[in-house]
Amino acid sequence: MKRNAMVILTLILALSTLLAACGSKKNNDTSSPSASTSPSASASASAPASEPASPSKEVEPFTVSLRHIQIGEPQKFRKAILDEVVKKTEAEVPGLKFELDGVEDAVNRFTKLPAEMAAGNQPKIFDLFGGNADALKYAKAGRLLDLTPILDELQLKDKFLNVFGQFTLDGKIYGLPIGGNMEGVFYNTEIFQQNGLNPPTTWDDLIKAADTLKGKGITPFAQASQAGWVPNMLVDTLLGRHVAAGFPNGLTDGTLKWNSPEIVAAYTLYQDFVKKGYFTKGELGKTYDDMLNEFGAGKAAMMFDGSWRSSAFKADGVAKAINGKVAFIALPAIPNAAGEQTSINANYGNGYGFSSDLNENELAAVKAFIKNLYNDEMQLRGLTEDGVLPSMKLSDEAMGKVTDPLVKQVLDTMKAAGSSFVHFDSVVQKAVNAETENQLQKLIANKATPQEVGDAIQKVQDTENAKK
Amino acid sequence: MKNTLKNPAVYLMFIIPTITLYGLFFLYPMFSSVFYAFTNWNGLDETRFIGLDNFTTAFGDESFRSAIFNNMYFIVFSVGLQVPIIIILALLISNVKKLKGFYKTTVFMPSILSTSVIGILWGFIYDPDIGPISAFLGFFGLDPIYWLAEPKWAMIAILLTNAWQWVGFYIVLILAAILAIPKEIDEAAEIDGANATQRAWYLTVPLIKPIISVVVMLSIAGAMRVVDIVLVMTNGGPAGSTEVMASYMVNKAIKFGDYGYGTALAIIIFAFALVFTAIYQLTFGKTERIEY
Amino acid sequence: MPTSLKKAVPHAVLLVYVAIILFPFVFVLFSSLKADNVEISQSPFAFPKDFYFQNYVDAWVQAKIDVYFFNSTYLALSTAVLGVLLAAGTSFALTRMKFRITSKIIYQCVLIGLLIPGNVLFIAQYILMMKLDILNTHWALFWPYTAGALPFSILLISAFMKSMPNELEEAAIIDGLSAPGLFVRIILPLTLPALVTVFIINFLGNWNEYLLANFFINKDTLRTLPTGMVGFRDAYQTNYALICTGIVFSVTPVLLLYAFLQKQIIEGITAGSVKG
Repeated sequence: MKRNAMVILTLILALSTLLAACGSKKNNDTSSPSASTSPSASASASAPASEPASPSKEVEPFTVSLRHIQIGEPQKFRKAILDEVVKKTEAEVPGLKFELDGVEDAVNRFTKLPAEMAAGNQPKIFDLFGGNADALKYAKAGRLLDLTPILDELQLKDKFLNVFGQFTLDGKIYGLPIGGNMEGVFYNTEIFQQNGLNPPTTWDDLIKAADTLKGKGITPFAQASQAGWVPNMLVDTLLGRHVAAGFPNGLTDGTLKWNSPEIVAAYTLYQDFVKKGYFTKGELGKTYDDMLNEFGAGKAAMMFDGSWRSSAFKADGVAKAINGKVAFIALPAIPNAAGEQTSINANYGNGYGFSSDLNENELAAVKAFIKNLYNDEMQLRGLTEDGVLPSMKLSDEAMGKVTDPLVKQVLDTMKAAGSSFVHFDSVVQKAVNAETENQLQKLIANKATPQEVGDAIQKVQDTENAKK
Repeated sequence: MKNTLKNPAVYLMFIIPTITLYGLFFLYPMFSSVFYAFTNWNGLDETRFIGLDNFTTAFGDESFRSAIFNNMYFIVFSVGLQVPIIIILALLISNVKKLKGFYKTTVFMPSILSTSVIGILWGFIYDPDIGPISAFLGFFGLDPIYWLAEPKWAMIAILLTNAWQWVGFYIVLILAAILAIPKEIDEAAEIDGANATQRAWYLTVPLIKPIISVVVMLSIAGAMRVVDIVLVMTNGGPAGSTEVMASYMVNKAIKFGDYGYGTALAIIIFAFALVFTAIYQLTFGKTERIEY
Repeated sequence: MPTSLKKAVPHAVLLVYVAIILFPFVFVLFSSLKADNVEISQSPFAFPKDFYFQNYVDAWVQAKIDVYFFNSTYLALSTAVLGVLLAAGTSFALTRMKFRITSKIIYQCVLIGLLIPGNVLFIAQYILMMKLDILNTHWALFWPYTAGALPFSILLISAFMKSMPNELEEAAIIDGLSAPGLFVRIILPLTLPALVTVFIINFLGNWNEYLLANFFINKDTLRTLPTGMVGFRDAYQTNYALICTGIVFSVTPVLLLYAFLQKQIIEGITAGSVKG
């Protein structure tokens, strides 16, 4: 009898060892120096357990998880820069192997990272957004590494522009913006010329262009609203232009209401665009990449998007078909709107954050990573190759190297702006932002009026504001 | 001899692994859910006991109410429309002489595929620009339908996809029951002059009532459980029009780390499932076992 | 109505239905061999102009389908095997061993699990994985998959074992077999049909599972086929030909398996569900 019991036990045991061999452990709970490099399941990360007592100099392989959002074709320039930094850092730090994990932007920001933060098992290095709903929230919960000492040590602090606002809590810096961006109108100069239209630099010209194009069967604005953050970009600028003061910070301290006449007016304008058919048909089923594709294929004449998209129109970009035929401007002044009409949305909101639970090896890796990514060379490459505005101070000489006309237009637009405001999604609470997306989709689907949209969002805002 | 089967050590050896797993992954989550449902736990901030707040929030939430209705659509569609079609197709297959095996094998095919792959596949079929349905409509000069982009179509699109996946599975279930009916009964009726339709309706259908009841039950359970296909095809959109209870719960809990609220939603889903099962069992499900 | 026509009508209806079932497969197969979106959209129903096999190379390289495939295979296999063994052992103890009252309580308790829709436990299990510190490892799928199948498996196997006559085991015990020996040598072989049924159901369920796999696993190298494919679609969503290729890759092995085992699979599942 014993023997037979053993057979079963052995079977179960064999199975579980098999699984153990194939399965994986969490980064920091086992020390397995033999991190396999095969791409199979066994290639899981196994950073050595932290043993601060024995900082042996011998090369012991360890891995550092790195979550990035540079997946897919349109992000290839950014990915190339990251890859180079990774390679360089691995060469500098003995034993280091980065484990790259690419996740789609919105999925990372709104699903994966929040879940990992709650669980406390975030990657060691990860793409991070600034603001109350992201970086500051995680910093408060003690999940983020305080970067102030590292910046001091690497003497980097003064090299950055004034970009840490959305990453600073109690005077400590918790994230490093990789660059800046602004949101504005890309338009296809060829389509405008062929149809005898003036560039959409004034509101009248923009509306006239939209009406004319619509009549000719060309989509005026490429739009993709399956994910609410995409149409929210235009909404954000409309809000900034309609609200006289206090946008967006007034939303969380209660001095600005979502159902105020100014904000409702902005939503009414948006709804007006929808009703006139200025946007892509079936936009609620379109993804962000669809939007670029439509514009890139010359099927749409304009596109409201972030300046980061400019690299797609380079000679070797995804939308190379319209290379040289694209111009970038700020949204023209809106008549009868209460806000500052030369203001633009500008953000230094996206960059990298680091886990607070690093061991010594990992910390060394992080330092080297920061040093290799945040320097003049990579910043300039980001600007010239990828159209990302630098977050660090670049010399005039370096800036002179910008040859891409589109990037120049972005820089000029930035300079010409009277003032700037950050995107409300870096200020309002996550639940509020989700409600804005939800309600905007309802507005687009004609299931809610602008007033209802404002009321519904304000209701969530009130609840969230009361939580403090 | 009796002692052999009364050895407590052996008994425990067989029972304990199962009980441990079951306790840890079923009972413990179940009971901890009940606890969390009354808190505001989100993994980051301090956890407080907040009474019934989560439940009042849920029912006060218009999006959740519409998610409940969408689950109801699933039930109505799968029981009201799918089941009759399933029965008719199963009867047809049982009556043909040639190709029976071919039909059975083919109709079952979608059921072995993963829902997520089916979602991707059908997302493609529904694509307004390049999908075949659009091309088909274009044949007749009709405009493409924006299946997954328009609130009025999105739910129908998902229901159709779901039907495509599962109808074959249920057909095979019912077919098995039909084929288990002794041949003599059918032959006797044929001799008595009943035609095929009459025999199917008056003879076969009553005899397979128990399995139809099982199919209805499974359809209801499936409709309460549905989530994968929604997450993959629309993620609840456009504008929340395809959100079901489970997708809403998953999004709330994971996206906002609002675990307290999420578990409250889970309990509500469980309650709905229980109520529907009970109602069904007490009304239509009360079929007796049939002896041939 | 002439007899021939009478016979033709059911076939006509059924063939239309079969066409609806098969069409998406054919469409995807054709599309996967087309050069680009333009060719797909201009002639969605046509046979590909020339076979563009490059898609297959690209998809294989870019999507790590081999990795997803391996992960799915070993997870689905190991959990289904372990689940069946555990359920069989427990069913044996519950139905054949002489601890009537304890058994009855345990049996009822396990059956309650059948009433709980899987996704209800999702968040609580997520929290549990978080606490056990096994999120983002295959254990986070292994245990729920194994445990999740237990109630149904026990129900089915117990029903089967209950219906077996007592004489056999009495004889075996007189011959000196112990309880585990009885289980392994006599009961297991006799229960094989039910075990196969349970195995197939569990295997397919775990092979196709999406919800847990999507949220419990974040690393690309650990993804299973269902979540890996969704990630693939999200990354290459504008290249339809490539996505179709991915679908072909992920569907073909299952269809091949089905082609070989269709009889067992269909009978296994119907036996399970009709009796269950």
